[in-house]
Amino acid sequence: MVQLISVSKSFGNVRALTDVSFSIQKGEIFGILGPNGAGKSTIVNILNTLVRPDKGDVIIDRVNIKNDGETIKLIMGVVPQEIALYEELTAYENLMFWGGLYNIPKAVLIENVNKTLDIVDLSSRRNDKIKTFSGGMKRRINIACSLLHNPKILVLDEPTVGVDPQNRNHIFEVIERLRGEGMTIIYTTHYMEEAERFCDKIAIMDVGRIVALGTLRELRQISDSRDLLTVKLADFNDDTMSVLKSAIPLIRFDSTSGTLEIDCENISNEISGITNHIQNAGGVIERIYTRGTNLESIFLKLTGKKLRD
Amino acid sequence: MFKLFKKDLKLFFHDQRSVILTFLLPLILITLFAFAYGGIGGFNGRSEPVALLIADLDQTASSKGFTGSLDSVPEMRTVTSDPEKARELVIKGKYACALIIYRGFQDSIEFGNGTPLELIFDKSREMEIAIIQQNLISALMSFSGEIMVRIRIEKYLQNLFPAMDKSTSDNILRNVVKDDSNAIGIKWTSVVGEKNDTRLGLIQAVAGTAILMLLFSVAGVGTSILEEKENGTINRLLYSPIRGSTILYGKMLFAFYLSILQLTAMFLFAWLAFKMDLSVNIPGLVLMIIATAFAVSSLGIFLAAVAKTRQQAQNLSTIIILVMSAIGGSMIPLFIMPAILQKVALLSVNYWGIQGFYDIFWRGLPLEAILPKILILMSVGIVMTFSSIQLFRKRIMKF
Repeated sequence: MVQLISVSKSFGNVRALTDVSFSIQKGEIFGILGPNGAGKSTIVNILNTLVRPDKGDVIIDRVNIKNDGETIKLIMGVVPQEIALYEELTAYENLMFWGGLYNIPKAVLIENVNKTLDIVDLSSRRNDKIKTFSGGMKRRINIACSLLHNPKILVLDEPTVGVDPQNRNHIFEVIERLRGEGMTIIYTTHYMEEAERFCDKIAIMDVGRIVALGTLRELRQISDSRDLLTVKLADFNDDTMSVLKSAIPLIRFDSTSGTLEIDCENISNEISGITNHIQNAGGVIERIYTRGTNLESIFLKLTGKKLRD
Repeated sequence: MFKLFKKDLKLFFHDQRSVILTFLLPLILITLFAFAYGGIGGFNGRSEPVALLIADLDQTASSKGFTGSLDSVPEMRTVTSDPEKARELVIKGKYACALIIYRGFQDSIEFGNGTPLELIFDKSREMEIAIIQQNLISALMSFSGEIMVRIRIEKYLQNLFPAMDKSTSDNILRNVVKDDSNAIGIKWTSVVGEKNDTRLGLIQAVAGTAILMLLFSVAGVGTSILEEKENGTINRLLYSPIRGSTILYGKMLFAFYLSILQLTAMFLFAWLAFKMDLSVNIPGLVLMIIATAFAVSSLGIFLAAVAKTRQQAQNLSTIIILVMSAIGGSMIPLFIMPAILQKVALLSVNYWGIQGFYDIFWRGLPLEAILPKILILMSVGIVMTFSSIQLFRKRIMKF
C-alpha cells in the first residue's frame, strides 16, 4: 500500500532523512517511533506530497507521488499533531468545512459527518463550539475531520499528546474500530506503550535514519534486549552471594541496598528457578520487581539514548 | 511590592508590541502632528511657498510688473496659466487658487478705477487661501501705491463736498488710505464644492475614518493567516486537495469583500445620519469603493506577508497604518499640512482614497477625472497582491 524507497531529504544544511526505506501492507498499522527531530513529521509531509524528497521514491496505492500528488491527497487522511480546528465554529461546522474541501456531494458529506461524529462519540456535542470542548474532545474531532473523505490510508501524527486517560481510551477505541474496518494506518508517536499496543510493524527512527524496523518480536531480537528481574532482599549472609553467583552467572548485586538484578530471556519461565536459588542460598526475599523488554529499552539499546531526550 | 513592580517592568520590556505602542509610535505621531500644526520643518521659520496660478490676460507692463511683484513674495510661488486651465486645475485640487488679471488692469490703475482681478479658489484649502489673500492684497497695494485709492477718494470728495478745503480732504485721505481693504477690488470666486450640499468636514470625517478603520480590519485578516499557520490550520488545508495559492486567494477575497462591505456601510451611515448625498456620482463612488477596498485589502495582506510571526505582523501593521493615516490625511486634513508632507502623502493609500472621495463629493468631478486615482489604487493593489503571493510562497507554505 505504501512504499518508501531510499528516501533522503535535507532542509538547507540540516539532513532530515537519510536513505529511509520501508513498506506498509494494506490494513496494517505501522508505527514510526522516535524522539523530536527524528524525522517523523518529514515523512508525514512527504507522504502528503507537501515536501518533495531530494532522493528516492514514494509509491502509495501503486501511484508514485512525483507523478500524481493530487490523487495521493484524496486517498490520504492526515490527523495533524496540532489541534487544527476553528475554535469559534461548532463541531458540525468544522466537519462540514474540512470535508467540503474534498468536493464530496453535500448529501454524502452530511452522512459522513454524522457517521464520524458517531465514531468519535461526540454526536451529542455537534452544535457546540469547539472552544467549549476539552482537550481530549478536540483531539477526537481533530481525528474525525480526517475521516470524512473515507481515506484508504490514515496518518495519525502523535494523536494523544496532552490527552487525559479517559479521552485517550476514546481515541484508542476509534483506532481499534478503524483497524477493524481494514484501514491502513501510519501512527507516529513517542509513547512506546501506544506503539506496542497498536502497531503491527514499527520503525524506530533517530536523527533522520531508521535504526530498526520490524514487529515488536523482531525488534527484541535485533536489539538483543532482555527482561529484567529485580529482587530486594530483607536478609542475607556472606555466603548468599557467592552461592548465587556460581548458580546465576549474570547476577548483579548492590550490597548497600541489598538488591539483586538479573537479565532474563523470559521472566515468566525463569522466575521460579531464580527465587529457589535465592532461598537455598540463605536469602530472604522482601520484594520482587519485573520489567519486560519494551520499546524504551530497545530504543535505549539501539541508540544509546532515552526516547524523550 | 517592589518584586511585583520589577516583574511587570521586565514583562513590559520583553513585550515588543507594548514598548512600540508606548514609546515609538507616540514619538512618530508627535513628530508628524508637530510638522502639521507647529510648522516644524520650515527652515528659518518659513514654510514652503504656496503656489498661485496666474492667468494674465492684460499682458501690459503693469500686469507683468504686478506678477513680478507677486513672484518676489517669499510666501508665494507663481505659476503661469490661462484662465480655463487655471480654473480646471483649481477644481481638480491641483492648486488652491488662481488669480486672473483681466484686460484693462493697467488702465484701471492709471485711472483709479477698480482693479479687474478675480481670485478663483477651493474653499477647502483655507490655510493656503489665507496666506495668498494676505500677500496678494499687500503686494497689490505696494505695487499700485496709494495712487489709485487717492484718486478715487479725491474724486469722491470733490463731487460730494465741492467746498471742502484742501487740509480737511488731505486729512480724510490720510485716514482712509490706511485701510487698504476698502480700496482693493478683487473678485473672490469659490469654484469648488458649490454644486453640492455635502460639507467638507463630513467628507473628511467619513472618507478619512473609513479608510483608517478599514486598514485595521484588513490587517486583522492578514494577521489571521499567520495565526492559522501557528495553530496548524494552514498545514491542514495544505493536506487537502486545494492548492496553497488558493488559500491565499481565499483570504484576499475575504479581505476584499469585508473592505467593500465596511466602506459601503460607512457611506450608507453617512447618508442616513448626516444626509450625505451619495447620488452625486454613483458610478464614480462604486468604482472608488472597489478600488480603495482592493488597495487597502492587498496592503493588509502584504503587511502580514512581510512579518514572520503574528506578533510581528500586529506591531508592523499598527505602526504602518497609523503613520500612513497621519500623513495620508485620515487624521489631519491634508490642507493644513506643510507642502513637504503633502508630497510625502502621495506614498499613502489613504491619500489616494480620500482624494478620490473628495473628487466625488467635494469637487464634483466626473468619472473620467477620478479615473487616474482609481487606477493608482488598483495598481497599488496589484503590486501588493503579487508581492504577497511571492512572500507567502516563501514563508507560509514552507515546511
